[in-house]
Formats: sequence, C-alpha cells, structure tokens
Amino acid sequence: MPLLTSILLCPTAGLILVLLVPGRAVQAIRWISALSALASSLLSLQLWRAYDTTAGGFQFVEIIPWVHEVGISYHLAVDGFSTILVMLNSLVFLTGVLTMWDLDVRVKEFFAFMLLLVIGVYGVFLTQDLFFFFLFYEIAVVPMYPLILIWGSGNREYAAMKLMLFLLAGSALLFPALLSIYHESGLGTFNMILLAQKAFDPEFQIFVYPFVFLGFGVLAGMFPFHGWSPTGHVAAPSAVSMLHAGVLMKLGAYGILAVGIRLLPDGAVFWAPTFATLAAIGVVYGAFIAMRQTDFKFVIGFSSVSHMGIVVLGLNLAVLGQAGQDALNGAVFQMFAHGIMTALLFSTVGFIYDRAHSKTIADFGGLGSQMPRAVSVFILAGLCGAGVPGLASFWAEMLVFLAALKTYPWMGVAIIVGLVFTAIYILRVFSMAFFGPVNSQWDGLRAMDLKGWQFLPRAILVAVLLLFGFFPRMLLDVIDGTTTTMLAAF
Amino acid sequence: MNNLMLFLPETVCLLGALALFAAQVFGARYTVVWITSMLCGVAATFASVWTWDLKGEPFFPGVYHVDFFSQFIKAMLAAGFFFVAAISSRPQTVRSDAWSELPMFLLLATTGMMMLASATELITLYISMELAAYPVYIAVALHRNGHTGGESSTKYMLQGMVASAITLYGLSFIFGLTGSTYGVDIVLQLETLAGQPLFWLAGMLVLSGFLFKLAGFPFHFWAADTYQAAPHEVVTFVATASKVAAIAVLCRIAALVAPASVEAASVSTVLMWMSVAAMTLGNLAALRQGDLKRLLGYSAVAHAGYVLIGIQAMSATGLTAALFYAMGYAAMSGLCFLVVVELGRDEDLVTVESLAGLHERAPLLAGTLLIGLFGLIGLPPTAGFIGKWFLFSAAIEQGQFVFVLVAAINSAVALYYYLLVIRQAYFAESQGGPIPTGVVTLAVAGATTGLVIAMGVVPGWFWTKAVRAVAALMGQFWVSA
Repeated sequence: MPLLTSILLCPTAGLILVLLVPGRAVQAIRWISALSALASSLLSLQLWRAYDTTAGGFQFVEIIPWVHEVGISYHLAVDGFSTILVMLNSLVFLTGVLTMWDLDVRVKEFFAFMLLLVIGVYGVFLTQDLFFFFLFYEIAVVPMYPLILIWGSGNREYAAMKLMLFLLAGSALLFPALLSIYHESGLGTFNMILLAQKAFDPEFQIFVYPFVFLGFGVLAGMFPFHGWSPTGHVAAPSAVSMLHAGVLMKLGAYGILAVGIRLLPDGAVFWAPTFATLAAIGVVYGAFIAMRQTDFKFVIGFSSVSHMGIVVLGLNLAVLGQAGQDALNGAVFQMFAHGIMTALLFSTVGFIYDRAHSKTIADFGGLGSQMPRAVSVFILAGLCGAGVPGLASFWAEMLVFLAALKTYPWMGVAIIVGLVFTAIYILRVFSMAFFGPVNSQWDGLRAMDLKGWQFLPRAILVAVLLLFGFFPRMLLDVIDGTTTTMLAAF
Repeated sequence: MNNLMLFLPETVCLLGALALFAAQVFGARYTVVWITSMLCGVAATFASVWTWDLKGEPFFPGVYHVDFFSQFIKAMLAAGFFFVAAISSRPQTVRSDAWSELPMFLLLATTGMMMLASATELITLYISMELAAYPVYIAVALHRNGHTGGESSTKYMLQGMVASAITLYGLSFIFGLTGSTYGVDIVLQLETLAGQPLFWLAGMLVLSGFLFKLAGFPFHFWAADTYQAAPHEVVTFVATASKVAAIAVLCRIAALVAPASVEAASVSTVLMWMSVAAMTLGNLAALRQGDLKRLLGYSAVAHAGYVLIGIQAMSATGLTAALFYAMGYAAMSGLCFLVVVELGRDEDLVTVESLAGLHERAPLLAGTLLIGLFGLIGLPPTAGFIGKWFLFSAAIEQGQFVFVLVAAINSAVALYYYLLVIRQAYFAESQGGPIPTGVVTLAVAGATTGLVIAMGVVPGWFWTKAVRAVAALMGQFWVSA
C-alpha cells in the first residue's frame, strides 16, 4: 500500500468503522478513533523520516486517472511543506481525540464528523490535483457546522452559521478562480505540478490571484475577513477548536501557498505589497483586540488572528525578493508552531472549562495554586505565543521579523508591536486568572487537576514545542529545500 | 421487430398504465396496484437501459429519434417513476378513493416525457408535452383536501396550459417560416432563418413552455404554490422526473442552435440572464420559507438556474454538465421529498419546524435528508458538488468569469436556508415519537443516497455516459442534415 494513500485511509477506515459500530458502544468508538489517529501519526512520522530532504521536490507520487475526459486524477504527492503539515494534522488529530475522551453526548456522531474533517485536511495537504484539492478543502470545512452546533457552547448557533457563511463565501471566490486556471492553461489537466510549470499570462495572473488569495485567506483568518474565527473558536468544543485553529486555518495559508503563489507567481508579486499590509495590520489588530477580551477563548481566538497574520505576512514577503527564503521558511514554520501551540492552549482551556464551567478570566484568581499542572501547561503555550526563546514559535516569528525588516522596515516594527501586545495579553491572563489572590470559589478544582493519562495529549504537544524550540533545524531542513525550489520562480 | 424494440420503453410504460387501469377498474387492493406500479418502473428502466445502444427511427423518418441520448433520458425518467412509486406505499395526502389511480396517471405522464426525449418533429413534440402534462394536472388535484387540491391544481393547470399555448404559438411561427415541422428541415434552413426576427420570437415562445416545466425564471410562479399544496408523492414526481424531461428538451434545443455561432451567442445571453434571475430570486425567496415543500420549490427555481448555466454555454461540455446535474439533482431532491413523504403522512403541510429532532425520531431519514441537502447545497462528497463543478467549468470555458462568480455566491447564500433545515433535523428538541418507515422506502432511500454519493466520489462512469449522450445528441442533427 503506498504511503500517502495509507495516511488518507487511516481516518477513512476509522470513519467507516465508527459508522458501523452502534452508538451505544461509546468505548469502542473512542478506541477506533484513537487507533486510527495513532496509525496515521505513525505513518506521518514515517513520511517525515523517509522524505528525502536533499532531493527535495515532490516525492511519493501516486497518480490514478479519475475522470479522464476532464483531466481529473487522484494524484498524491508531498513536498517539504506538506510533509510537516501532515505531521501537524496527525498530532492535532491524535491529541484532539485524547482531549475529547470524556465526551458523552452523541459520541458516535462527534467522532464521525471529526474523522471526516481530518480526512479533508489530510487530503488537502496530500493531493496535487486542483480538483481534489478543492474537494478535500470543502470536506474539511463542512463538519465544522454540526460540530459547533451540536457540541459547542454559548452562542453556538450564531457562531456555526457565521463560520459556514464566511467559509463558503470564500469558496465562492475560489470556484471561478480555480476553474479559470484550468481553462486558461489549455493543458486539460488539474495536475498542479504541471500547471505550476505553465507560465500564465501576467495579466491573467493579476486578475485571478486576488480571488485565490482572498478565497483561501478567509479560512486563514486573514484581517479583515477574520470575523468568523474568534466566535467559532469560542463556541466550539475543545477538540474542534484545536482542529480549527490548529490545522483548519493552516489550510487557508497552505492554499495561498500551493495554489496562489505556486501557480500564479506574477500575480503574487503584484499583490504582495497590498496583502502584506493587510496582514501586518492583522498582526497588530488581533493582538490589540485580544488585550481587551474577558473570555479565555476569545483571547486565544484573537491571538490566532494575530499569529496567522504573521504567516500570511511571511507568505507575501516571500515573493518580494529581498529576504524571501527567511520569510517563507518562517511562514511555514509558524504554521506548524502555531498549530501545535494553539492546540495546546485550547486543549487546556477546554480542560479547565469542562471542570469549572466558566471561561471568564475575571472569575478566576490564583488558579495556579488550585490547578497547578493545567495552568503550567497553559503558561508554557502562552509563552510560546509571545515568542519566548526555547519554544518553537520563537524561530518562526524571528525569521518573518527579519524578513520584514529587510523588505518593509515598518512591518518589522508592526510585528514587534504585535509581540509586545501579545506579551501584555498573555501576562494579563496569567496575572488575573492564575496568580494573585486565590478565589476560594474554585477550591473544588484542586481535586480535578490534570492527572494520569490526561497528561498524555498535553505532554505530546509540549514535547513537540520544546523539541523544535531547541532543534529548529530538524524542521527547517525539511522545508528549506522546497522553499528554495519555490522561490526560484521569483 | 427492430422498430418495436426501439419503442420498447414507451411500450412498457403504456402497457403498464393499461394494467394499472385494469387493476383499478376491477377494484384490486392498493397493495397490488402499488407493487404493480413498482414492477412497471423496474421494467421500464430495464427496457431503456437494454435499448440504449440502439439507434434509429421507429416511425416515419424524422419524427421520432431513438439514440443513446433519448434512451439515457428514458432510463432516468423510468427510474424516477420507480422512485416515486416505491415511496407511495401509503399516499395518505391523496384522496382515499383515488389511491389506485395515482400510479396510472404518473406512469402515463412518464410515457409522455419519454416521448418528449425522442420527438424531433414539432407536432410530435407538442403532443408528447401535453401527454406529459395532463396526467400531472389531474394527479395534483387528487389531494384529499378538495380545496387545497383544487387550488394548486388550478394554478398549475392554468399556468401550464398558457405556457403550452405559448409554445404552440411559437411552433406555428416556425412552421410558417419554414413550411415544415421536421427538425431536420428546420436545421437546414437555420442560416437563412437566423436573420429573421420572427424566428427568434418563435424560438423564445417555444422555449418558454419548457422553462415553465423546469420552473425557470420567469415562469416559476407555480412552483412554490404547487409544491406546497399538491400531494407529496405527486410533488416528488414533479420535482424529479418532470425536471429531467424539461432539461432533456432544453438540451435538444441547445444542441440544435449551438453550431450556429452567432445565433447561439444571442440565445446564450438570454438564457444566461434567465439563469442569474432564477437562482437569485429562487434563493432569496427560499430564505423566507417556513414550509419545507415551499422551500424546496424555491430551491427548485434556483436549481433551474444552475442547470441553465450548462445549457447556455452551448457547448458539448455544457450540455454534458447539464445532463449530469439533472441526474444528480433528480436523485438529491428525490431524497428530500422522500423525507417529506414520510413525515407528511398525516399532515398536508410539512413545515421546517416539524423536522425537529428528526435524528432521534428516525435517524435513517435524518441521514437521507442530510445527504440530499448536502447535495443541493453543493457540498462534497455528493453529486451536487461535482455537478456544480462541471457546470461552472463549462461556463468558465466560455470565459464567463463574473457569471460563475455570481452563481457561486448564490450557492453560498443558499447555504443559509438549507443549513436551517439541517439544524432543525439534527439540533432542535424532538417532538413526537419514532417515525415508522417501510422497508421498501428505506431500501430506496439507501440506494438513492448511494447514487448521490457515488456520483460525487466516482463521477467518471456517469460523466462518460453523459458525454456519450451529448455526443449522440449533437451528432444527430448535423450528421443527418
């Protein structure tokens, strides 16, 4: 069995099994989901190990014609970027399943939708066929609606509907754009590798690129189209927030990269200054708004807007030449690091919320002495967001920052301002909720701190953050070759 | 003998209708009638598939054309009839003394629609159209509540008859201009005709009759009212088989004018605006509906607009996409109506609210509805997603970027009202106990769900068939001419 298909098959087999098992067999459903997550994680690890960084380029190619007449084929292949993003998805998937282990409401449906979402995400990262790319993209988006609606909390109906309308409006922009790329090429194929070799007419590229960029940009939580994201985060159950912020938003950024920048380089260059400006505003804006939030999850939600702004900024700076290599490496690194970090944050906040039934920051005080373990995990993830050295995000943010300084110095300043705000909102959460006078209302939580296997998902994520914080080269080596190839077009 | 083979599907349907008539005259129990009608549906489907490699003209030359296209459409129509027959095990919204008549009328209408798919001569075309229409006018009136049935039937029949009168008026102009009612002759004169405004007027008049059947703008006014007030089973038929027949004729007309580039462009522009109007109006009107059948009625108007995207492209890919979408759409809306039928056993009106808690009351029906609505929204992995992809692709091929953008934004708007239905079925508090569902209905629901997903996941087979049908269609006039 080819490796990439196997990765895709793990959650698919899990989904089919979950659908077949009767809904009462809750434990069986959990184990099926966990095992399929574990299997795909191991295969992703194998992929990471086997991906030949010296050769670079697309590897593990599998092509089967699908609708031959119109040039659609089931075409899987990975480059350095997708290798690490597949890994990211596996990690969030695995830890997400573990985080939701105690769920007891409509368990079967929950894991079925979650598995469907994961299939979609894997599909996007693995496929090199433009049709399948879009197909998987939509598959990944759809389950968000029921997941938030049924298992969410608070203003979930509003959040779920808003999210779907925003994301499908984004797809509406993509529909004509992707089809135009296909017809304009005259190649009669959706093979993205072949399409990338085709030099499209610059005018065409300049016309179509904004549709691609904004269409995917909505999902990347790009300012000013981020409105769906924080409300969605807040209303979603923990694992869904993890997947949503951890990988789903990366699909948007990856789409910009794999379709926009790779297929339409001239368009990317033309629009880069505009979109880079928007992204820089987003970095500052997201962090600024996060400082005012009273709800844990809103803080993290807006921090995602800010951190994804760094990714999008990096992507735009990459095509402008001056420090492209750093910018793109940083952007992709940030996708990975932010995915892990934000998954950790949501996993932990979800843990606290499930026990305290509150996520209002001001309700707490001195929680650090009541739930020391959960709080330390949260603090670690929060520091990662603030770009503290020794944790993965540091490298990503620094690379983009350096690139910004070289290209547009004021954007470098924007990142610094964003990071200062980030430090403020993170420390504000720490000081209000975790330290200071103990709020005795929550003394009951003492007995409920993280223990035993509950450490497992958080420990995995913490280990990954530390690993790449201390050994960033392990990750950079995988992506650097692909960055070089991609930037050769500019 | 061979000629009889060419007319096999229609013959099967006619004989079936006769058998149903006899059964009803001799007072057979409804169960017998029901099983007979299903058998007729199966037989007609097999007859169509069995004869789809044949090619020829069973009657006078140039009147009635049998080829892969026509037989393919007939297979869809027969399958559609089977679907409606299968879910009509207890058509309780129909007057109890008319249960046995219902399948007969629908089968007769199916025969008419089948003939419509083959007719290449104007009078044959018109007669087929009327044969397809009249039984449905009656079936709509069979509602158990005489007032409701009367109202919807009157609306449907009056508008339908006006539309067919308009068509006939247009046909008379064409005859006057060309001196012939044969498609082949008319095509030969197309170049000279193209300069004459009267011909275009005639063409538009003819078109309006079929747009009426499709519930296309501006002939869509009947759709919501009829959908709401007619018996559920009849609406299912109108929403599935009827649409396929209308699309088949529109494809034929498009194939007729497509090769004449200048003329095609102007027809295409008109159709494009009709498409934009239909989907925008349909979707916006559907946003406000609380009655599930009305909502689906307006959604049908919007979907007529989507299908026109393929037809107005006036290209082989466009027509193929339209056919593919017709196939998928019939299955997807069939799924939604199946749920309406099951829910509406005792009620004339099925509101969106009455779906509350469907996932607990009847998980399988809820799943059926979910897949049907996902298809109508255009989400993967259903036929709706790939169908839209093909339709949009055909329009982009013609350089219609903005048009596709408008259509895609329309789909995003439509998302809202479909999601509200899904929300009701999966999220709202349950009212009432479990809904018992027959084995046959469940089997049909399962098979149709499978079809909708199969078309979305492995579209290759279906696409190839549609390509072959369109090739037969495009080849027909231009080889014989």
